[in-house]
Amino acid sequence: MASSFDPETLGGKITQGRNRLLKKLLRNPDIVWRVEKRREAEIVKALEAGEDVSDKGSVILIISGMMHQLNLVGGKIWSLCDGQRSLGDLIEALAVEFEVERDELAEDVEGFVDDLLQRGWLKHG
Amino acid sequence: MADAVTELFSAPLTFNWTLSFRCNFSCSHCYSRDEQAEELPTADILRIIDILAEKQVPFINFGGGEPLIRDDLFEIADYATGKGLNVSMNSNGWLVDTAAANRLRACGFKSVGISIDSAEAALHDDFRNMPGSFDRAVAALDHLRRAGVRTTMSSVISRINYRNFRDLLDLARAHGVAQVYLHNFKCSGRGLKNREDLDLSPEEWKAFYVEALQVKQETTDLLISFDDPVISSLPGYDEKSLVSGSSCGKLSLHMRPNGDITPCGFIPLVVGNILKDDFDTLWYDSPILKKMRNKEASGKCMDCGAFEKCLGGCTARAFAVTGEFNQPDPHCWK
Repeated sequence: MASSFDPETLGGKITQGRNRLLKKLLRNPDIVWRVEKRREAEIVKALEAGEDVSDKGSVILIISGMMHQLNLVGGKIWSLCDGQRSLGDLIEALAVEFEVERDELAEDVEGFVDDLLQRGWLKHG
Repeated sequence: MADAVTELFSAPLTFNWTLSFRCNFSCSHCYSRDEQAEELPTADILRIIDILAEKQVPFINFGGGEPLIRDDLFEIADYATGKGLNVSMNSNGWLVDTAAANRLRACGFKSVGISIDSAEAALHDDFRNMPGSFDRAVAALDHLRRAGVRTTMSSVISRINYRNFRDLLDLARAHGVAQVYLHNFKCSGRGLKNREDLDLSPEEWKAFYVEALQVKQETTDLLISFDDPVISSLPGYDEKSLVSGSSCGKLSLHMRPNGDITPCGFIPLVVGNILKDDFDTLWYDSPILKKMRNKEASGKCMDCGAFEKCLGGCTARAFAVTGEFNQPDPHCWK
């Protein structure tokens, strides 16, 4: 019924150069989604306490009557894909918010975005 | 037995919103025809939409009463869609002419459902106590389709139509309907008063659903929906609901014309008022909603293996007949 996406397990390598980093990313407008704010606050608190929160969903997507959940990082990425930001912008924004080694972050974000593009949940704006 | 989904949600996915109990029809099964409530002015309704948008409630479905009785429906819908909400409604179709259909399209309705209870015009008109209503309802489907609005058809299953539900599906096909809701009969309001004439026996419900589920499995050109938790243990039931049992109070809430919130339109218990109370407090802490989300088996449900799936069936029906949420659904055949 529900599934979580863990950017840490979704690999991918930046292989298509700079242009790919500059393309704007846009959520599929047919997908209904919502940030579950109370849950998000609980997860942030757990993260600050040093807990592993990678399998805890804070953003829900309703797609063809099915619900999917995104974890904290996946939800941040999803929320940022408003048609105004590129992959490079996402990496910049997340680098400020999460203390992760830059190359590792870029690889994970690209892998996650690729997966969502393949599913048709994101598109290039 | 709370669902993990209910624990996760910060608000319902859908608000079923009765803007007015007024109606130009007087149907035999109506849950709300004898209800009365003060109606809010447009400004207050727009304030409610602001609250729903802030709480990120994605879907609003206007019902009633007849939604088009309110002259400001288009303004309200336009405001809601502008806030990013997905708006739909259920109507008897009487007031949906070409101009209205075009306005519904222009203000962003995702879909409009038209109530049709029999493919026989005379039977529908008699049930709805309105001569000519069948022709107007069918015409409404056509006006909406031509305007580019997705249409659905709502049919309350009762003694007048349960043997001929296939005719309703054929009628829907003939008029380009995308989805047919074969609604389960609710013994609320006039539905309770006229229950003996309209409701099926539990065995008849089972026979209907077994047949209808088979038709649904064989049908590829039309979506067929039931939304009745009592069927979750039947063979062929494969709907992937986000929650077990009734979705009311978990995935959806109902709002009365004065802003009072109830778990669903068929349960007349007020949880609070959206303009007067803090929504988060109502959603998370309402004793009524908590009770609906944590049903316990009683009576014959205690020894039934299906309870985990159906959670006692339709809570509204159980409450209407027994006054208790936890009693078994009176439609249950087990």
